[in-house]
Amino acid sequence: MSSPLLEVCDLRKTYRLGHVDVPVLKGCSLKVDRGEWLAILGSSGSGKSTLLHLLGGLDRPDTGGGDIRYEGRPLAKRSTRSLDRYRARTVGFVFQFYHLLPELTVLENAMLPGLVPGGIGGGPARRRVRELLDRFGLSHRLHHRPRELSGGERQRTAIARALANDPQILLADEPTGNLDVHTGKEILDLLAEAHRDGLTIVMVTHDQQIANRADRDGRLVDGVLGPAAAAGSAQSVEDSPTLA
Amino acid sequence: MYQPLLTSRYLMTRMIPLLAVAAVALCVALVIVVISVMTGFLDMIRSSGQTLMGDVVITYPIRGIPYYDDLITKLQSKADVKAATPVVDTWGLLRMPYPAGDAKESEQVQIWGVDPSSFSQVTGFTDTLKWSEIPSDTAAMMRWDRMRDRAPALVASLDIPSKIRLLQESAPDEVEGAEPSVLRKLAENATTEDLTKRMLHLTWAPEKLRVVIGDDGMRDFDSFDSRLGDSGLVLADGRSLQRNSRPAIVSGLHVSKANERTSTGDYAISGGGYWWMPNHEATLTTLPIDSRGGMLDPKSIVLPFANEFASGVFLIDQTRIMVPLNIVQDLTNLDAAEIVSPDDPTRVVGTTPAKATMILVRGQNGVDPKQLRELVHNTYGEFESACASAGRNVPRLDRDPGLRVLTWEEQNASFIGPVEKERELMRTLFSIVYLVCGALIVAIFWAIVYEKTRDIGILRSVGASRMGIVWIFLLYGLFVGIFGAITGVGLGWLVTVNMPGIHEQMSHPPLWLGIAMLACAGGVILWTALQLRSGRLLPLLLGILVAIVLTGMGAGELLIRSSGGIVLWDPAVYYFTDVPDTVDWPSAWITALGAVICSVIAAAIPAARAADIDPVGALRYE
Repeated sequence: MSSPLLEVCDLRKTYRLGHVDVPVLKGCSLKVDRGEWLAILGSSGSGKSTLLHLLGGLDRPDTGGGDIRYEGRPLAKRSTRSLDRYRARTVGFVFQFYHLLPELTVLENAMLPGLVPGGIGGGPARRRVRELLDRFGLSHRLHHRPRELSGGERQRTAIARALANDPQILLADEPTGNLDVHTGKEILDLLAEAHRDGLTIVMVTHDQQIANRADRDGRLVDGVLGPAAAAGSAQSVEDSPTLA
Repeated sequence: MYQPLLTSRYLMTRMIPLLAVAAVALCVALVIVVISVMTGFLDMIRSSGQTLMGDVVITYPIRGIPYYDDLITKLQSKADVKAATPVVDTWGLLRMPYPAGDAKESEQVQIWGVDPSSFSQVTGFTDTLKWSEIPSDTAAMMRWDRMRDRAPALVASLDIPSKIRLLQESAPDEVEGAEPSVLRKLAENATTEDLTKRMLHLTWAPEKLRVVIGDDGMRDFDSFDSRLGDSGLVLADGRSLQRNSRPAIVSGLHVSKANERTSTGDYAISGGGYWWMPNHEATLTTLPIDSRGGMLDPKSIVLPFANEFASGVFLIDQTRIMVPLNIVQDLTNLDAAEIVSPDDPTRVVGTTPAKATMILVRGQNGVDPKQLRELVHNTYGEFESACASAGRNVPRLDRDPGLRVLTWEEQNASFIGPVEKERELMRTLFSIVYLVCGALIVAIFWAIVYEKTRDIGILRSVGASRMGIVWIFLLYGLFVGIFGAITGVGLGWLVTVNMPGIHEQMSHPPLWLGIAMLACAGGVILWTALQLRSGRLLPLLLGILVAIVLTGMGAGELLIRSSGGIVLWDPAVYYFTDVPDTVDWPSAWITALGAVICSVIAAAIPAARAADIDPVGALRYE
């Protein structure tokens, strides 16, 4: 059996609010296989986004607070520079509030990851992003600013941006949380399409129905990842041979 | 590279960086204008110094250098020397022709006895002569004076057609449309007294007078002063230091208090032109000093003025007068004289040669003054040896500390030095403006970083490094610095080259400008009143502020105008009569470069803060 693409073991993360330490993740473990779509359910403040940020190398776990391994190698041992490259080439983020730069056009926003050191470069990024935006039905919006777009268009632009460097893993943080049902479904269809092309997706959501689109799901409760409880859920974490 | 893309977009889509660009531009322009004016001062001092005294000077004050003709001949035989001229430099009192009455004013003056022809070859003296012809007011006054004596005779000589022309020219409104027969009758019946008055009146309009009495008549009338008929004579008098074949004075323009600088920078002559110096005489008095340094009896001479000169250096124009060399030699006892026996004053035992206290030397074009100084120094050594072998006693370079060979710059060091120091002081003081500019950039960029916190989180999430974030803001600072510096250089250049025009406009502000400003203020008040409906405070406040500023400027402008303008550039306060209007380009580029470096350094502080922003916190930032 091949090793998992991402492996999280007893992950702990504590934030300090004023003089109070607030533990958010209290020993979270999971495994994600290559090409898998994993949904993590959780209520607001349960630590879903924190987990995603840790998986994407944007944040580091507490000292001695567990380990995240990508292709068997721990992220914690990586240098800052190496983590920058990891974020540029290996993972792509999609956020609930799109997080597009208001001064840039759709095309420029989407190709931004291609321009950072470690990205695929301006020319290739432009070609790939144009192709993605075309597929996402945004070819007529290339030179528009984010404020001129609908919510769905903005999120499609954000997905194109996340895929600009052809990453292995897409980390989606409530990707439909700010959209109506119909538009949310369109976005999930896009993710499903990318998933069919072999993309590994880790998506956090608070909505069981959305989580159902994933191959498997798990629920983050009190800082620990456990099985999804709701009926009709995807294969739950406890059923999975590859998850803790 | 994403930094140039983001930097350019941040610059193009926001107003706030324009404030930073404007701050840099204003600082750069301010420094450029101040330094350029100071450098202009310095250049004027230098060029005036060189114009007025040549490249190198040999000085031996009070006792003078004898046999200077031989020295000048030796100097002029050198290929690098263009010309040399003797000067006697002393101080004296000039009893001025004004005011009317016996109690005249006296001015302390620096007297330069010069040989006009060789002096003009060494210095640019002839180019500094102020009057190329008699000023029109003065000429009119002179003609009026003359007409008072000549009018009855002239009127008596007029035939009827001339009288008709006199009636037509002196009061065209009275005879307009009159029949020829009526005109003739009027001319025949006009009294001598009336015609005399009319003739006197016409002296203020010489062209009309010419119509009445004809060209020949005019020439005859003007013959009382040859300068009226031949305007070139005024300049010629100045060049030759002569007036009607008499030795004459050419004085600095500000020696005479009758020359008043007006707010336009021109000169008005007191008494409606009456106190034009070349129409007057003055008494020059000196105190000669004997060979032991004792004071002898004062010597005086009455000399007419030939012209006046304006070197542009106020201190010189205020005190210096040029007088023919032989006159000053006589006044200072430096002229050639016989030596009589102490035992028998009737027995001549020898002669002392005439002396000059300075020898001014002009080098050929392209000869460095310092090289020329060496040459002059060596030539003086040759002159010294030649005199020694001929048994002539001359001051010696190794024995007489008073004998010095200096470049014009060294001679004027006491004058140039302080201005150089002042310029450096100004440069240092105004460089503090950079700190203000830097602080402004820090504040503006800090606000931009604050505003762009979420963008920083986004960039970090797509793989941008901390240094990458730093570079965005450094590049931003660089662009702001470059745009600001270029704009500042342009603005500084515009202000500097238009300085005389701006000075003129400020001295004599045009009426339309005041009215336009008040009209704009009215427009702004109207606009502000309309904003009242919206209930918003910011447009209201801005409107009130702009209206107050415009009203103040407009009212102030009209006030200055109604008070007849103000002399901003008073040559009595500043060294020069003209405002410098040339940009000091090396300083300008150094200033611009300094502004760019300052902008980048100032941007580095908020850039470092941006790099320290936690990306997770930034992504959550609303």
